[in-house]
Amino acid sequence: MIMRPGQQLLLPVNPLFVWGSLLAALTLNMLQNMGLWGRATWTPDLLAVVLVFWTVHQPQRVSIVLAFVFGLLMDVHQGALLGQHALAYTVLSYLAIAIHRRLLWFTVPSQAAQVLPLFAVAHAVELGTRLLAGGDFPGFGVLIAPLLESVLWPVASVLLLMPQRRAPNPDAHRPL
Amino acid sequence: MPLGTLNREPPPFFRQGPSALSKLAVCSAMAFFLMVADARFKVMQPVRVAVATALYPVQWLALQPINAVQSISVYFASLNSAQAARDAAQNMRITQSLRVNQVEHLMLENERLRKLMGLRDRLQSPASPAQVIYDAADPYTRKVVIDKGMVHSIAIGSPVVDELGVVGQVTRVYPLVSEVTLLTDRDHAIPVLNTRTGARSVAFGDTSIHADAMELRYMAANADVAEGDLLTTSGVDGVYPPGLPVARIEKIERRVDTAFARVYCVPLARVAGTGHVMVLEPLNTQIPPRPTPDSRSASGRNGVDK
Repeated sequence: MIMRPGQQLLLPVNPLFVWGSLLAALTLNMLQNMGLWGRATWTPDLLAVVLVFWTVHQPQRVSIVLAFVFGLLMDVHQGALLGQHALAYTVLSYLAIAIHRRLLWFTVPSQAAQVLPLFAVAHAVELGTRLLAGGDFPGFGVLIAPLLESVLWPVASVLLLMPQRRAPNPDAHRPL
Repeated sequence: MPLGTLNREPPPFFRQGPSALSKLAVCSAMAFFLMVADARFKVMQPVRVAVATALYPVQWLALQPINAVQSISVYFASLNSAQAARDAAQNMRITQSLRVNQVEHLMLENERLRKLMGLRDRLQSPASPAQVIYDAADPYTRKVVIDKGMVHSIAIGSPVVDELGVVGQVTRVYPLVSEVTLLTDRDHAIPVLNTRTGARSVAFGDTSIHADAMELRYMAANADVAEGDLLTTSGVDGVYPPGLPVARIEKIERRVDTAFARVYCVPLARVAGTGHVMVLEPLNTQIPPRPTPDSRSASGRNGVDK
């Protein structure tokens, strides 16, 4: 096992936390749609961010098939063409697997810059399938969504790695 | 440090499962299959219903904070807005009262005239109230989700109206919710009647000019339409009851190079931001089935043979 210079030793990941964070991202996506912004095109797809994050950090636990299944859930929730998000997340997850060995050698801000093309490709796949299926162009808000998702990458890196950064033997002086 | 506290374990060298590329190929093929089956052959509704039922607890969970915030904001709504709403309702009641008082008289007269002419009684559409929960997130269509579904015996194709006019039509029914396609969706068409001229035509959803608009297609360049004409449902489609207000003509472009005029309309109902709606039963469930023309055509063919 080759360690990166300055790499922190992490605790093993809790599979329940991985699943819980994916479900929480799905719920937050729904909350954005149902409560906050309705039918907006620019809203960041939090589920895509969390999927890419876990595919990069835990490629053995979160696979392309899981991304496909979560894509189907998003399709049914949105009432969109069945398979549209599934295809986009499949491609996204494949690209994440392709870069996962390289990506973690970089600092977090430059990781964010490197995942931007992934999110852009996923949104382009979605847009392309819908335009082929005979939809209208929904407006230039679609260009903002990948940017917001890549801005959220450092936030996800902090939040989702927090349980693994705890001390292995917490005591009264070091509760976390 | 005890064992098992490190994240990194050596990667398995030999049992890696199928490669990422093969997974990508299989999942993409599945996605394409689903899209074609959904868009072209319309056979995916059972799958959708199953997934939606599994997804309903998550949706319910996501709706809870929204409902809480809404109920709190309603609780703290100012007295002024309540008074303004009451005044508006009072004004509307006064303007409507004159016509309401005439309704009894007109209905009686109408009934007698219809009997006199031997016409069928006008069909009554049973209605059930519903509430719009949220806009469907898909930005390529114009759909909303209402809180009534299969268990409330909502039928697919039912017209949906609000207090101002037609909102749209139920296009997908799930166990507890349904999807309503709005008038402004580009794939939605509704047969309408121009109340000034009595001419029938078809209005399509059209979001190219501004957000919530419709277009009256296939109108000849010299057709008798004017800005401000009221369009109501014509009742010839067997879905919408006749006489419901649909839209008002907003703008007409007559060009020399085309045989058709471009007629833009605005829907009368509040298609964006509706709260409460009524779901009517489609008329075609109440119309008696068509008589079978077997015997007559058979005799006609015999007559030709002779």
